[in-house]
Amino acid sequence: MAIEQSFLLLKKQLAELNKNPVEGFSAGLLDDEDMYKWEVLIYGPPDTLFEGGFFKAHLIFPKEYPLKPPKMIFQTEIFHPNIAKDGSVCISILHEPGDDKYGYEKASERWLPVHTVETILVSVISMLADPNDESPANVDAAKIWRENPDEFKKRVAKCVRKSQDAFE
Amino acid sequence: MGNCLKAQSADDISLLRGSETQDGNDQALGPPPPYQERVAPRAPIYYPSPNVSRPANLLTEDEQVKIAKRLGLIVHLPCGVYDGCSKKGKECAICMCDFVMGESLRFLPCMHTYHKDCIDDWLMRSFTCPSCMEPVDAALLTSYETS
Ligand SMILES: [Zn+2]
Ligand SMILES: [Zn+2]
Repeated sequence: MAIEQSFLLLKKQLAELNKNPVEGFSAGLLDDEDMYKWEVLIYGPPDTLFEGGFFKAHLIFPKEYPLKPPKMIFQTEIFHPNIAKDGSVCISILHEPGDDKYGYEKASERWLPVHTVETILVSVISMLADPNDESPANVDAAKIWRENPDEFKKRVAKCVRKSQDAFE
Repeated sequence: MGNCLKAQSADDISLLRGSETQDGNDQALGPPPPYQERVAPRAPIYYPSPNVSRPANLLTEDEQVKIAKRLGLIVHLPCGVYDGCSKKGKECAICMCDFVMGESLRFLPCMHTYHKDCIDDWLMRSFTCPSCMEPVDAALLTSYETS
């Protein structure tokens, strides 16, 4: 896909999200000059431990988007089995399809070129509610989530409070 | 477990453009398929598997065979030109653009339609329909072998 096409595709999504905002997050460019770097604000989903939090993240798109997935990195501290300590989100739909490397993920769970900012964020929001500890990016968080739910609750509550302070 | 995209190989150019310009051992790939009409300014990068990319002259024999097979399958998928007929769909789900009269389209066995350029690049990475995740090869071998 030509570079102008990835630019136009992202521009189109930005216009669409501005016109029809989607519940659960807001999205914009990190820098008005750069269509490939987005900043999103995710609202902690209701009825989850993350409820009430405001989590800022960056989406960094490659020039080959949508053939290749973007990277997503939380800027707000967040304690979750599928988010590495540096904030990188590790979910299967952000992984390129491969027939050999990660046999445990079906092709259908991998990146597809029809994914948009909206579908990615919908997946990330559902991941917040429903961690997957089969391939944790934060091993400590996965262990605590599995073995000590009360402690996990506490650690998440701390992140939620901190995230709220940042927006006051 | 490290299944994040940390150690990606650098593959920053489009697939398969202009393999006729390379000076490597492209003979092993057979004649260039008919849809490669454009000439790229740079040597092509091939994707023996989606997480691996290499210039054509560094591919192993197995990888060359795999790519040649994939190319051979893709050219058997029916294609055509958009004639304004809405039965074939109106929009390409990859670039999210409406089809314009005269544009080249590719029809997948699952009945999903895309721009030829948009879907061919994807099929070299993954042989599945991006909209319904239907594997393209199974259906292809049974219904399009002779088309
Ligand atoms: Zn298209
Ligand atoms: Zn399909």
